[in-house]
Amino acid sequence: MNLAAIVQDQTSHAEAVLFYLLAPITVLSAVGMLLVKKAVHSALLLAAVMISLAIFYILNEAPFLGIVQIIVYTGAVMMLFLFILMLVGVDSADSLVETIKGQRILGIIAAVGVGGLLIALVSKGNLGHRLFGLEMANGEGNVQGIAKLIFGQYVWPFEVISALLITAALGSMVLAHREPDSDKKDQRALSEERVRQSAQPVAGLPGPGTFARHNAVDIPALLPDGTSSDVSVSDVITARGHLAKPGDFKFLETSDDDREGN
Amino acid sequence: MNPMNYIYLSCILFSLGAAGVLLRRNAIVVFMCIELMLNAANLAFVTFSRMNGTLDGQIVAFFTMVVAACEVVVGLAIIVTIYRSRRSASVDDARLLRL
Amino acid sequence: MNAPNIEYGILGPILIVLAAALIGVLIEAFVSRRYRYILQTGTAFAAVALAFLQLVLIRQTSSKAAVSSMSIDGVTIVLQGSVLIFGFLGLLLIAERGFQSFTAQAAAIPGSNEEQKALVSGLQQTEVFPLTLFAISGAMLFPAANDLLTLFVSLEVLSLPLYLMAGLSQRRRLLSQEAALKYFLLGAFSSAFFLFGSAFIYGQAGSTTFDGIRKSIVESGGSDQFLLVGLALLTVGLLFKVSAAPFHAWTPDVYQGSPTPVTAFMAAVTKVAAFGAAIRIYYFAVGGLVWSWRPILIAISIVTMAIGTVIAIAQKDIKRVLAYSAIAHSGFLLTGIIALSKDGLNATLIYLFTYGFTTIGTFAIVTLVRDSGGEVSDLNRWAGLGKRSPLVAGTFTLFLLGLAGIPLTSGFVGKFAIFTAAYKSGNISVVVAGVLASAIAAFFYIRIIVMMYFSDPVEDGTSVVIPSAMTVATIAICAVATLVMGIYPQPVISAINSLAFFAG
Repeated sequence: MNLAAIVQDQTSHAEAVLFYLLAPITVLSAVGMLLVKKAVHSALLLAAVMISLAIFYILNEAPFLGIVQIIVYTGAVMMLFLFILMLVGVDSADSLVETIKGQRILGIIAAVGVGGLLIALVSKGNLGHRLFGLEMANGEGNVQGIAKLIFGQYVWPFEVISALLITAALGSMVLAHREPDSDKKDQRALSEERVRQSAQPVAGLPGPGTFARHNAVDIPALLPDGTSSDVSVSDVITARGHLAKPGDFKFLETSDDDREGN
Repeated sequence: MNPMNYIYLSCILFSLGAAGVLLRRNAIVVFMCIELMLNAANLAFVTFSRMNGTLDGQIVAFFTMVVAACEVVVGLAIIVTIYRSRRSASVDDARLLRL
Repeated sequence: MNAPNIEYGILGPILIVLAAALIGVLIEAFVSRRYRYILQTGTAFAAVALAFLQLVLIRQTSSKAAVSSMSIDGVTIVLQGSVLIFGFLGLLLIAERGFQSFTAQAAAIPGSNEEQKALVSGLQQTEVFPLTLFAISGAMLFPAANDLLTLFVSLEVLSLPLYLMAGLSQRRRLLSQEAALKYFLLGAFSSAFFLFGSAFIYGQAGSTTFDGIRKSIVESGGSDQFLLVGLALLTVGLLFKVSAAPFHAWTPDVYQGSPTPVTAFMAAVTKVAAFGAAIRIYYFAVGGLVWSWRPILIAISIVTMAIGTVIAIAQKDIKRVLAYSAIAHSGFLLTGIIALSKDGLNATLIYLFTYGFTTIGTFAIVTLVRDSGGEVSDLNRWAGLGKRSPLVAGTFTLFLLGLAGIPLTSGFVGKFAIFTAAYKSGNISVVVAGVLASAIAAFFYIRIIVMMYFSDPVEDGTSVVIPSAMTVATIAICAVATLVMGIYPQPVISAINSLAFFAG
């Protein structure tokens, strides 16, 4: 009814200590989120805000929500954000150039105005009753209480929300899933094609000196018909003119006299 | 401590989120600011739930988390599509459409 | 604890559409690409027709359903019926495959080889059908929701598929993706306002149900700070959805960038759903706070009409002109809510019903005027259309006259009803502004008509293509509805008058 009625509704001192410790951290993290340049830092600061909020939920007699906040929000949603940030480029940073002149000033004024107005209006309000607390509602346990409502009074939105989940799954498939390219050749098709076009050797190029007298790098390989293969020697050597011909390595007719002469 | 402090905190976070949407340029950061606004709303719901002594507010907050998760999936899919098309996630570069 | 009771019969229309959407998802998963289109269209049309049939069967219902999460009453029936009819017409346009409106592969990068290959295959993404059905079910849930949670969830069920559909255009894909991003970011932004507002309303009322909120206002005399803060934030969220000024900035961009069939669907169905929900909130839930919200809505309504009509004059793109016209119509529709009377309720429903046909017809015609690169939306190139294709130009003229609210078209009936209701409720200012805005609006509609008939056609490859039976049927239905409801509106008016009551 009046302000005095609310003043009586005090929470425990332990809660107050925790609140005054965490609330500045939360607000600073949120402010930091707006000011830091790198998107990844914003994401981490948002995660900090979310974890503080989880603690506030637990203080507000909502232990289940506090845990869900950490698991679902901080654990899954924020990780999804980080994942996308990594995909898009981890050092994506905002340019600080103003594209619309005066937009920043106007934005700040609008936000401060809205915030100030909200707080001013809210501070005048009162619920007209004292703080009830959730001892009654949480009598059987918080999770039991929530379960009763979800599967009782709120069963319809609970079922409808499945449509939302399916839409989200379908939507991400539409936008991100690429059909496998049916024309793309697999390994088998590629090797079959290689055999069919016999211009290239199937088993790779012959090394220098194969079947020749010497296996030095300037000696071309000999093909089965006895001719030499140009592809077996590096182009550099051919260009320099150092290429040895198979003919250079004829068997010399040596006589016994020569040997004995030595 | 008066539990209204939680409501003040949620108002501050909500305004900061709104400011972020107006000020930041990177679509992903803008979207994170929207998440901050949703979180602020959740804090208000949980606090009012305790003040009123009913669990309805907690249920709404719980559903909001699911809705937000769906929104994140769709939103990030759209952002990734745009990024792949033009290698930029800045909302300033998305300016083919204007007066 | 007893199992909650869900009334499947009266929720049937919604459940049929949802079930068909799920079947559509399964078709995408298991049927080969060649047969998907025929199966998807078959499922979608059958589902919408069946849902409408079920709706006709339950038309006398007036009760709460699904543990009073839903309110199935006369107002809901009229709104859901309108959503189903416009959904059907929208589906007809979306199913038109002659124009290649939808991308073959949304995931392929614009200009890549992959995209080329997908284009050559000639197939288009058929996921758009289940997405449309999800959007229709969301649009049926939104005006029927009877608590804040269901309202929020159904708002998202309506919006998420639309964000996705906006980005599926085949031509000018970057533009389309940009439209999706803008729609998404601003939509999510408005959802946050909506939710924060709901939090304060819940805080004060101690209940999420509309009945609980209504009761709490009656008990407290309506002087509660939290409730007013909550209502203000909730209103911001809703005004974003109905594209009322100053929250209209997304509308022209999204209308222009989306594939035109999606724009047609979105323009009609979202407007019906969002105004339907607004009616339930302002008339039923927070009707007791009328002295707080009426002045604000009057101001917003006047500003919306002014912006919608004045900026439309300067536009050079036909889709942007129609988008600003949609904004102006939001302003006219707000006068029906401001009236807060049985007359106002009837008038709003009649206006929504007539407006949907006209707007879908207009966008259907926009899909017909094309050159080799796709639709021609540059207004200057529409010059001389009356000489090139008298039939199309004539039908388009009929729709434009309908949008302008000239007598003998359905638009006049809607406008007359809504301004009469606002006048009777004593809100003269908004009526004067509405009539002035209509006069200015008529100027630019007539300017387009003059341009089509009295200037010579430019030979730049612009031509009117012959559409398939689906688009022809859509245009024919819309044209007949615009004309018949303009000449002989009595049956529709009396049907809506007799149905439109809230379940107490």
